[in-house]
Amino acid sequence: MEDVKISYTESLISWKRPDLRVGVPVTVKYPLVPTEKPPEYRGKPHIDPNVCIGCGACVRACPADALTAEWDLENGLKSIVSNPARCIRCGRCEEACPTGAMKLTLEFELATPNKEDLVEVVEHHLTKCKKCGDYTEFTERQVEKAFQILPKEIVDANALGEKMQLCRECRMEESVKILAAQGRIIGDPLLLPPQHAKGGEK
Amino acid sequence: MGKAALKSVWVFHVDSGSCNGCDIEVLDMLTPYYDPERFGIKLVGTPRHADALLVTGPMTRQCRRGVQKVYEAMPPKPRIVVAVGSCASSGGIFYDGYPIYRSKDRFGRDRLRSGGVEEVLPVDMYIPGCPPSPEAILFGVAQLLGLKEKKMKGEYYTDKETEFKLPQYPIEERIRLSLRESLKKVIGYFDRDRVLEDFMEIAGEANRAENPKEKLHALVTGYFLQEKDSRLKFSMKFLENEYWRLKDDYENKYVALVETHVQ
Ligand code: SF4
Ligand code: SF4
Ligand code: SF4
Repeated sequence: MEDVKISYTESLISWKRPDLRVGVPVTVKYPLVPTEKPPEYRGKPHIDPNVCIGCGACVRACPADALTAEWDLENGLKSIVSNPARCIRCGRCEEACPTGAMKLTLEFELATPNKEDLVEVVEHHLTKCKKCGDYTEFTERQVEKAFQILPKEIVDANALGEKMQLCRECRMEESVKILAAQGRIIGDPLLLPPQHAKGGEK
Repeated sequence: MGKAALKSVWVFHVDSGSCNGCDIEVLDMLTPYYDPERFGIKLVGTPRHADALLVTGPMTRQCRRGVQKVYEAMPPKPRIVVAVGSCASSGGIFYDGYPIYRSKDRFGRDRLRSGGVEEVLPVDMYIPGCPPSPEAILFGVAQLLGLKEKKMKGEYYTDKETEFKLPQYPIEERIRLSLRESLKKVIGYFDRDRVLEDFMEIAGEANRAENPKEKLHALVTGYFLQEKDSRLKFSMKFLENEYWRLKDDYENKYVALVETHVQ
């Protein structure tokens, strides 16, 4: 039999649970003595700003709209805003996050007289289109992540290295041109690309 | 706190349309196990005796008048309102529902940030959580009494000031993400990431061996025999099969892909 480390189960056992057969102390000392929650407790969600790529998967998953994405297309910013006052601790953001940036912490001491104290903002810069210079709809870190996921052979085979630097409209234009050159499009290809959407909700 | 120097707070508990999760936690907080009477916190039967109002729930239209009447029946001082739960703090999961009372129409960010008890009453303490654990409620009440300081402060990060490091894993990222998705079918999300971490460690070790397939099988069997939790045992076996399926699948598809591009 191979000897394997089973770290997950060990981590659960390491937390000292009260032994109900022996009995528990009658009154907890809590506000006077600090306390801790068990490892599976779902507390305030926290975004690790060093790992978050700003993809917004958590925003889409959040059923209570505690997480929102705020776009500033003029300055090329996308912020992921977490509002734990709305959060219902369902953990769907943690489930959706592809990088493991979103984690429900064990933090439970959230009470505050001012709700703004709870808000957490992670701001991301959007990439600029190599062709038209407008901001694209993805962040710089998202591009890096995409290259980590895609196998190198596929990136080379499709020349994705350059395509990833374009905004959606320019990419469509390029594709239309290629298809038209191959004779796979009927009609005037230059009529197809729509105008760029400018500005946005701040 | 503006209303400091409180010694003993008598509370009245009112429900403004909650799902009863928070009410049960409030009830729990009042039991001798958490014993708030140490600090003079006592549940009273009428708002006329109460210093503080513990409001739970998202403030439905049906409950609004009742809650307002309770508030008016309280003595004019100190009239503290504590919003218990995410619903009371800002509408929670129900914030967009048709029966939720809103003092005015709000759109965009305002709509997303507002809701709950603050639409009707001035709130002195927000205790978010769904439901907040009895300790969390005690923490809020302890703040009212000056026993504890508030811990939270707003957090702001920008990607230019934080150092970005993509996490590296022992197996390819695309396979990790696919495994993570398919593992959803067999185990809950909380255990999922940890089981996957264990598996990736094993897979990384196996990939370094001469014959990865056999080595991985031996390691997974070792895990299977050592682990007592049957869910984890099953997940491990599932992951092993899925891992090789994805790998072989990719090899086949990739070969086909390259061939079409060469043509
Ligand atoms: S735990 Fe649920 S409600 Fe809270 S931020 Fe995550 S997805 Fe939204
Ligand atoms: S899903 Fe994860 S990586 Fe994406 S924006 Fe949310 S926290 Fe960041
Ligand atoms: S915060 Fe959660 S537990 Fe409390 S009333 Fe709302 S839905 Fe129920």
